Amino acid sequence: MIPSVLYHCPCLSTSPVPPPPHLPSSSYCFHPLYTLFFCEECDAIRCNRCVSVEVSTYYCPNCLFEVPSASVRAEKNRCARNCFMCPICRNTLTVVASDPPDADAGRLSVPVSTVGEPPFYLYCNHCRWDSAEVGITFEKPTGLAAQLQKHEDSAPDSLEFDRLKEHFEPFIRSSLAASSAHPASTVHPSSAAHSHHLYSSSITAAASAALARDIPGVSKYTPLSRSTSGRGGRDRSVNKDEMPEYRSRMDITTASTIGTGGGEADVEFMKHIETINEVASLEQRWGSSWVTSLQTRDLKPLRIPLHSKRSKRCPVCTHILIKPEQKAQSVRYKIKLVAANYLPAITVALPHMYPTTETVKRALAKSSAAANDRLNAALHPGETYAFHLALTNPLYDPIQVRLATPRVHATNTSTANQEKSRRPPFGVSLPTSPFTVAAFAEAWEYDEDEDMYWTDEEDLGGGGGGGAKSVRDRDARTKSRTKAVGVLEKRANTTIVGGEIIIGKEARGRLMFIMLVQYTYRSDDPVPSESNEGEGNEVKGNTGKGPETKTFEFYTVVDLGEIEG
Amino acid sequence: MSTPTTPRSKTAATPTTPAARLASSSVIQSSPHYTTTRRHSLYGVEDRVIIDPGSRVWKVGFSGEGRPRDLFYPTGRSPNGGSLWSLKRASDPMVRVEEDKLLEVRLQKALRSVFHESLLTDPKARKVILVEHPLLPIYIKDTIARILFENQVPSVSFASSHLLSLFAVGRITGLVIDCGHLESVALPIFAARPLYPQLRTTPMAGARLTSHLRALLLKFATYLPPPTSLSSAANIPAANRATRVPQEVLTDAVVEEIKTRCCFVGNALDVSNADFRDVDIMPLGDQSSDIEAPQSDSLQSESGQESTTSSQRAAESEFSEASGPGVLPPVRHEPGETYLQALASMYTRHSTATDLHMRVTPPTSQQTGTGLGTLIIPGWIRERAAEVLFEGGDVDESSVAEVILDSLLRIPVDLRKTMASSILVIGGTAMLPGFILRLQAELIRALASLQDSRHSTRPDKPLPPVYDRYAALRPLIPYFAILNNPSPPPPATARANANAGKAPALSPAMMAWVGGSLAGALKTGGVEIAREKWDEAELQQRQNDDGDEDSMDLDEIVPKPKNILPDWTRSPLTNGAPPARQPVAPPSVSIPPTPRVEA
Repeated sequence: MIPSVLYHCPCLSTSPVPPPPHLPSSSYCFHPLYTLFFCEECDAIRCNRCVSVEVSTYYCPNCLFEVPSASVRAEKNRCARNCFMCPICRNTLTVVASDPPDADAGRLSVPVSTVGEPPFYLYCNHCRWDSAEVGITFEKPTGLAAQLQKHEDSAPDSLEFDRLKEHFEPFIRSSLAASSAHPASTVHPSSAAHSHHLYSSSITAAASAALARDIPGVSKYTPLSRSTSGRGGRDRSVNKDEMPEYRSRMDITTASTIGTGGGEADVEFMKHIETINEVASLEQRWGSSWVTSLQTRDLKPLRIPLHSKRSKRCPVCTHILIKPEQKAQSVRYKIKLVAANYLPAITVALPHMYPTTETVKRALAKSSAAANDRLNAALHPGETYAFHLALTNPLYDPIQVRLATPRVHATNTSTANQEKSRRPPFGVSLPTSPFTVAAFAEAWEYDEDEDMYWTDEEDLGGGGGGGAKSVRDRDARTKSRTKAVGVLEKRANTTIVGGEIIIGKEARGRLMFIMLVQYTYRSDDPVPSESNEGEGNEVKGNTGKGPETKTFEFYTVVDLGEIEG
Repeated sequence: MSTPTTPRSKTAATPTTPAARLASSSVIQSSPHYTTTRRHSLYGVEDRVIIDPGSRVWKVGFSGEGRPRDLFYPTGRSPNGGSLWSLKRASDPMVRVEEDKLLEVRLQKALRSVFHESLLTDPKARKVILVEHPLLPIYIKDTIARILFENQVPSVSFASSHLLSLFAVGRITGLVIDCGHLESVALPIFAARPLYPQLRTTPMAGARLTSHLRALLLKFATYLPPPTSLSSAANIPAANRATRVPQEVLTDAVVEEIKTRCCFVGNALDVSNADFRDVDIMPLGDQSSDIEAPQSDSLQSESGQESTTSSQRAAESEFSEASGPGVLPPVRHEPGETYLQALASMYTRHSTATDLHMRVTPPTSQQTGTGLGTLIIPGWIRERAAEVLFEGGDVDESSVAEVILDSLLRIPVDLRKTMASSILVIGGTAMLPGFILRLQAELIRALASLQDSRHSTRPDKPLPPVYDRYAALRPLIPYFAILNNPSPPPPATARANANAGKAPALSPAMMAWVGGSLAGALKTGGVEIAREKWDEAELQQRQNDDGDEDSMDLDEIVPKPKNILPDWTRSPLTNGAPPARQPVAPPSVSIPPTPRVEA
């Protein structure tokens, strides 16, 4: 389990304060940074859950053909060209021509060609399944889906479905007429909602019309069936519901004789299977509404489902957050407001799990076995561990960061108490003073100016106290690791700070704590008045350095992994 | 952004309203022309979205199509996620809030993926028909409806899954039993009207089968860990490596795979009572009373099988003997230990199914070997795991057959024959090969058994009148017919002959969805709730809430179910049944206990 930092999106909860991280539902409030968006208008984090989604293009992931939205539904959301999936392993199938001499024996290396001998079939390069096994061959190697279409149109389920529809249609029509003539239903003919309701449940309406005449089991039939026992009752039981008998195109008894539908043939087959692979898995056969064979060798190739490119909007201001380019081949975006460009990226590491650079150098000469052992080192109760938080600034301006661990808010005492009893007892200490993270710059700027940055920020963060001072001396860094709370390292636009966690004696479970990150940056727009109405988590920081600084704060949950007892 | 929450914006967001009107008016005009022009709906939005949300598997698609577009596990890609909801709901309010929150997030995720991933359609454009299980708790219904309306769906109809399944076989009258994941529910329907007071339910369904199967596998299956090195694989015989099955090997996915790929339902066990007494399971009587088989001359017929079974056992003894503790473990002592043991020895004698080897991932703690481990599944487990569904437990856990009979008992007498001769079996658990055949046999046996046991148990004494639960149904025996029985027994009556096995060969798990698709194509379906109506109710509720602002915290957190959702549990029940509970409380999953009235 790698320690991780997840970012809070406040869309699920009513308060800006995140829920305690140990509740199972809380996992839906915290997201990895790369999945989050940032709305500039609202100045707020948006997650995939709260954005509204629109489809911009449909395309086939295999042939990258852009499907016009009008034909998506007609083509059943699947590629209508040459793209098929292997029913066994879901790999993409290729079209191959058959060997001229003997088509059924010794297909070891099938030549993949667009022109070849006429019976073409689909072949899986991964599991060697081919469509000739199930009797699917093609005359020409293109437009395969169209060639298969006639099979699909004459599928027993769609034929049966049409027949069912024909069967019900006159009944529905007549019952509609009956129910509209029925006095009870015409009490409020003017009310649109009422009539709407009525039509939509016309079958029930029809039933009620029928029931008004003879309510079963209550009035009319009961004495009759008591007086006439057995023989007489049979005739009346035949057709009580005014519905003509439906004759199936193919009933289940007929279907089961050819080995489908869970009948005796299937039981016999199941009784004698030798390997589990003879039976198709549930996912392989569940898509069919018609009874299908249980056997793996009867599976048919699958058309590849289409994918869609989606653009996403902020739910509050409806501004677009992300919008891909229209073309299916392109992987670029026209608009891309991802949170990774706005919020500092935070990663957490437990140094005791990883060998430090020094030990690696030493261990490199010997063997890496010792390092591997340390890699699996776990957290144990009653111990104190140091952890490193690396903050990387994506902005072109340096930021001042302040970290805090908010206590459990006692808004609801019962939750707080419950929560306290459940969460493992531990204490977290973080550097309390603000520290700087240098601005993001293009890579070429780094190499020589690094030292300059270094001293610059030293001065800026000088007010930070003991933590920053420990960095001043580079050699002192390794020594001071024992009391590791404070800024440890600054490099380019990344600052590593150290924290410490004391785990209680009887602590168990996941070690997670909520961390509030506040950062101040130089704002470009001079009027920061509007941005405050979006979400509650934006705080104006224009007290100290004039009107052009802004402070943004967000919550994260730091997950250090499982405590092992 | 025009949010649907305020009345002003509601009128502003009109595009859906005319569409709704249009659809309803087209119902009146529905002409014979409609059937011939299937094409018209390709670009249009008349076709509805049909969602059949199960606790484990969701089936989604468009109306007018014969099969759903997509099936998926709402809790994730694999069946590992478990079920979306369960039969229980936490009683502690705070835990319940947490549960509801979790459910809402999961439902939201699932519903979004329905539109954006499975169907690739805009939720604003199409009406939705929700295939609704009759016992789906109202809070779940409410959550689903809320999420759908938040996604701007124009309207949501709720249609009973049992009724829709009857549509799918071209009928509007019948007794439908749905063997799903959480429970099996029998519901008689007459003239498209579900007789809800006659509904009967039992937890003997897929989830129970899974847990039973897991218990059997843990106890009686054999696990061969991967060889420690490639060379040792050749040297050490498999029998020496055999061990008990470690718990970690049987992940949910593995058990699910065994259930769906290996299990089937064998014929009814023809075991004489004497046979049973041998294995001494009477102390655990509850279950045994239901397994009691008719005294029959089955022993002769079995002797024929004996030879095959014995040879089979010889073959498997290679493992069972060598792995001593693995197969006959005196280690763990569970309450059902002897019972399970007795079952095992009995089933082993009466099963001819082959043993299967399955490759499984070894547990992480034992990952010393190379490659995958092997799980040996005894054939009798494959054949007899589903026995649990037909055995039943205590009063609240009747077997699948009993649930049908109980429901039949409550049906008015003059309808019983009709219902008994048109039983429809639906649901995923019914997809087990042989399930329906067995159910038919069990129905007959449950009715016939009593007479036989009376004679056999105490021939010397005059018998006190025995409680004969299904005496009233005994004359119906020749009429029992399962509509979708793939191999119906020779029919005893013309009525049974006309019905048994005459349903179209749709797979049981899919019938409710197909019925929904049919209802959508016919422009009918359950009670429809338009978005406008929902928003109104929402607004009204908000105003009410504003009135008593200082109410308890809980009221704010828990969204109250709205009264506009159709819910049969709220409607007054017919005579003889107790009144429905107060409307505020969400309906409990089990039916309120009602006095059993013999008709």
